[in-house]
Amino acid sequence: MLAQLSRVLRGNRELTTFLVCVLLSLVCLSLPPGAKGFVSTILSGAILGPIERASTAIVQRSRVREENAALRRIAIDLMIERAALVDYRHENERLRELMGFLVAFPKEELAEIVPARVIGMPGGRVVEGMKIDKGLRDSLVVGMPIVVPGGLVGKIASVGTNYSLVEPLTSASSGVSVITERGRVRGVVKPRFGAASRRVTWEIDYVQARSDIKEGDLVVTSGLGDVYPPGISVGRVVSAVEGPLTMSIEVELSVDFSKVEQVFVLTGRPGNPAEMDELREGLLRELDSERAALEGLP
Amino acid sequence: MRGAWFAGLAVLAVILDSAVAPEIEIGGARPDFLVLVIAYAGLVLGARPATILGFIVGLVVDSEQPEYLGLHALALSAVGFACAFAWEHLFRGSVFVQMSLLFGAALAHDLIFYVVYYRNHVDMFARFMGRFGLAGAAYTAALALLLYVLARALGWRSIVGGTRV
Repeated sequence: MLAQLSRVLRGNRELTTFLVCVLLSLVCLSLPPGAKGFVSTILSGAILGPIERASTAIVQRSRVREENAALRRIAIDLMIERAALVDYRHENERLRELMGFLVAFPKEELAEIVPARVIGMPGGRVVEGMKIDKGLRDSLVVGMPIVVPGGLVGKIASVGTNYSLVEPLTSASSGVSVITERGRVRGVVKPRFGAASRRVTWEIDYVQARSDIKEGDLVVTSGLGDVYPPGISVGRVVSAVEGPLTMSIEVELSVDFSKVEQVFVLTGRPGNPAEMDELREGLLRELDSERAALEGLP
Repeated sequence: MRGAWFAGLAVLAVILDSAVAPEIEIGGARPDFLVLVIAYAGLVLGARPATILGFIVGLVVDSEQPEYLGLHALALSAVGFACAFAWEHLFRGSVFVQMSLLFGAALAHDLIFYVVYYRNHVDMFARFMGRFGLAGAAYTAALALLLYVLARALGWRSIVGGTRV
């Protein structure tokens, strides 16, 4: 029997090799745990260790790439959230400012105010015009003054069904009758275009020499001409230079026209207190929702 | 020379099994690159070298899990021998034969492995074979198709020669 098996195995080297391998495998499987550990330590230290290091390097590289991609996504999300946060903050500041303006306004005059949003602002270096989202439907008419909490913006130049075009103080054709709050000196504020129209300044014209005007004086509307109500802030005197007959007075406007988003139209209509209360409540609601949105952000 | 090539490929397969296979798994099924290499060693080198290669590489892989030292060695040497034996009796140039054989080899490898590993847990054995064994074997066999196309393009006659012994 053994001789026959030996003959078969000698004649079939492949089968012999396989059986030897199977036998060795079974021997390995039946080794005591200590011996298995010893053999494993030798094999893994000599052969498997370098292989594992290579595979770990590959895995880590791919993980690092995945982590990078994930971090990039997070960075983009955070940038978007930050942008939203900044928007909310600006909106919140603007609404607080408007709220303060409405609270400070006398109730009987507040009733004559129509709030509007700026929906267009053509012009390059200086703001030449503004488009607001209220028009004939809101009973606006040409000539109505436009103000913001900071001061005077301009007046309505033309009216459409649901929009109006505003002629701001910055427009080349504008001219506002003003008075200085301290010295009660009257004049007309107009833009002055410098060499090649590169620089624009606002000056008070028609002021006699030796008038009581100083740097820092507040300039407000005079109420003359029946266009603008008196007492609305226009700007501050930044320089006053004596001339032979008149003074050259430069004014810095109190409103930054490029940042105006919401304005108020002074309609001069008889007031509706209920409507104004509604406006106040609307603003408060908007403030509350802004605050809620801000709190909701991480 | 070809033996050294396959030894290098086996090392590469060990790396691929641990680093790449988890990344390309489909529904938990992973291809077994080591079975692929040992099976093709049987086709190209013959039964003896494939069996010895399967045994040595299996033993190295087993060193990671000393409790079952010899288990992969047993399974892979069986795969090497069985594949070489089967190639010699089949139309080895046929891609369908190669895929079927690869499927059988991967399945046999898992079968040997899980039988010993889960010898006391029949339910676990059945679940692993059903969940991973069959799908993994199919995945490995699918790689044989890619390998066949590559062998055809590169003119590896030992794989696409179409000889029947």
